[in-house]
Amino acid sequence: MINRRNFLKAGFLSSSVLVLSGCELFSVTTPIQTIKILQYDLFPHAKKLGVNMSKYLQIILSHSRIDEDEKKHIKNGIKWLNEEAIKLFGKAYIKLDSLQRQKVLILISQTRWGDRFINRMLTYIMEAVFSDPVYNVSSGSGWEWLNFKTGLPQPKEALL
Amino acid sequence: MIYDICIVGSGAGGSPIAYELSKAGFNVVVLEKGKNYTEADISKDELAVSRRDKFIPMLKDEKHIINEIDEDGNLTRFDGDEYNWNFWNGSMVGGSSNLMSGYFHRMKPNDFKLKSVYGDIKGANIVDWVISYEELEPYYEKVEHIVGVSGKIEKHKFLEPRSTKEFPYTKLFENGVTTWFDKTCKKLSLESFATPRAILSENALDRKGCEYSNFCGSYACATGAKGSARAALLQKCSAKIIPEAFVYKLDSDEKKVTFAHYYDKDLKSHSIEAKIFVLSAQAIESVRLLLNSKNKHFPNGLANTNKQVGKNLIFSAGGSGSGRFDFKDLSKERQDELMQVGLFFNRSLQDDYEFEEDGKKYKGGTTDFLFEHQNIISRVSREFYDEGGNILWGDTLRDKIHNRLTTSRKLTFEVFNDWLPTDKCFIGVDEKEKDKFNTPVGVINLYGHPHDLEVGEKLAQKAVKVLKEMGAKDITYSISSAPPPNLVAGGCRFGDDVKTSVLDKNCKTHDLDNLYVADASFMPTGGSVPYTWTIYANSFRIADEILKVIKSYTNPH
Repeated sequence: MINRRNFLKAGFLSSSVLVLSGCELFSVTTPIQTIKILQYDLFPHAKKLGVNMSKYLQIILSHSRIDEDEKKHIKNGIKWLNEEAIKLFGKAYIKLDSLQRQKVLILISQTRWGDRFINRMLTYIMEAVFSDPVYNVSSGSGWEWLNFKTGLPQPKEALL
Repeated sequence: MIYDICIVGSGAGGSPIAYELSKAGFNVVVLEKGKNYTEADISKDELAVSRRDKFIPMLKDEKHIINEIDEDGNLTRFDGDEYNWNFWNGSMVGGSSNLMSGYFHRMKPNDFKLKSVYGDIKGANIVDWVISYEELEPYYEKVEHIVGVSGKIEKHKFLEPRSTKEFPYTKLFENGVTTWFDKTCKKLSLESFATPRAILSENALDRKGCEYSNFCGSYACATGAKGSARAALLQKCSAKIIPEAFVYKLDSDEKKVTFAHYYDKDLKSHSIEAKIFVLSAQAIESVRLLLNSKNKHFPNGLANTNKQVGKNLIFSAGGSGSGRFDFKDLSKERQDELMQVGLFFNRSLQDDYEFEEDGKKYKGGTTDFLFEHQNIISRVSREFYDEGGNILWGDTLRDKIHNRLTTSRKLTFEVFNDWLPTDKCFIGVDEKEKDKFNTPVGVINLYGHPHDLEVGEKLAQKAVKVLKEMGAKDITYSISSAPPPNLVAGGCRFGDDVKTSVLDKNCKTHDLDNLYVADASFMPTGGSVPYTWTIYANSFRIADEILKVIKSYTNPH
């Protein structure tokens, strides 16, 4: 059962996103539902590395240094991604098969907002993959993958 | 309690004065807006330091207004919070010197007499300094010993005169690629030399030597090897430091500053009384405090009778570039050298510090070479696009990242040349916008003189030539008027003429008998090197002057 603190932390990711088809309300989703699928569509290697970006987002999006505008951009991106999926295949993004989802990504990548949304999501994925193990999101598997030696000393506690 | 000296700001400008005056037995208090960290608090956490800017204020609380002015005088206004653009550098005890790379170059003798040697340039307010290189030289030397500068003197065309033969600390260990670089420069008849660094190469000065732990620039040093104002000076003296103290106003009568008022972290106001006040909050903030301290004696702001405060803001002009070395072009031995991390690539070129064209002498600058910063998230993020500018994802992105980061490495360069002072580049305060302290925010009016770009371009092309000859690929560079926020100076220039300067030769304000400004604000021109060594040296010089003054009416305790 989700406790109050975790609920508040997850608040934004569990908030409602109204997805429209034309002017009609098509469905209601949450950012986390889409992000759980989208992260591995964008960077499937993260799964192999054992990194879950949605877990990282729960930490970072509750931090004081992430402002409301950033959350709004993410939420809008999720909404528009789903609306493009509906326009193209008549279904919300998470209801599509993998090939269809890639076609939606290709389509949105050619738009300004889509390019920025993918870039934003990839940035969070990379922050998760290459974060210090102290954040409990990545074990350092991303660093090993790239033979990367981090700077020393490593943090003793998460500062976010 | 009445302090002998109250210093506002604890970076490279204020700390030498705190160090010298407290060592001489005077009561010194340092007010610093940021927190006080020790070596034990420091780690190389990219997420906290570089991605979430742990060491600068949140822009929704404290921002700048930035006005960009183009050649035709058109102005574009940017709200720093909205555009995520700021000029903060390091809000912490020791200031931005904690986060510097410590590339230490002295200014050259001719930098002190730019107008006399190179003449006027239309649209630029070039003047000679009121002190000479010879007057500052003993203090450059003092910094080498007290702050700690490591390096090796190598003769070159523009090596400045020195009172000592060698640096007190031997040069740091270097990456093997420096030997390829030196050979190439020799072939091109260029005189490369090891960049002096404000980093101890051995245990000394009651500090540890460099442990080559990777991630140096942009990060505070966990060993104390880097010569930050905190590690080298404030931790070595008895000056009282009050962290998380934002000074919002100075009070004065007609002749003297009387009180500094500050807010603590709970926004509770406090006051400090002192005999002498020193401003060293970094050029923009020092000017802002003066302008925000208007009173009946100084209706334009403190020390601003002649409306010179904030004028002639300068940065370091120039830009940066890079080239990539790829495994496929290298022997196994060279591949291994390329991927050595932790070791420094300390190389500089100053062959064009001065150059001639059509029989006229021009001021050039410095080019420092270094490897791309090790920040992994930033490096990976730079691979998100293909050559056509299309965003990548999936396995294509995975393969590109892996290939780029495991079989190639970028060597970068930074060009430093004079940012000419002009009437269009200055600091003010906003009449409406206030920060979380309810204090008017700083306004930065930006203008880069076209001449700066021409010089930067010349230096960059020389650097590109070196990279090409070394066999680098994907060479790119950018010379622009974008101001580097960590290389800011001017705004309270020193001079003999009260009508065109704010400070006298000793960096005391013309208007007030007990107010000094000791950060880079005093610089009327900036030289073509990073400023920190000169700021430190000048502050030690001011410390000597303040000692003379204070000893004339007070005994040490």
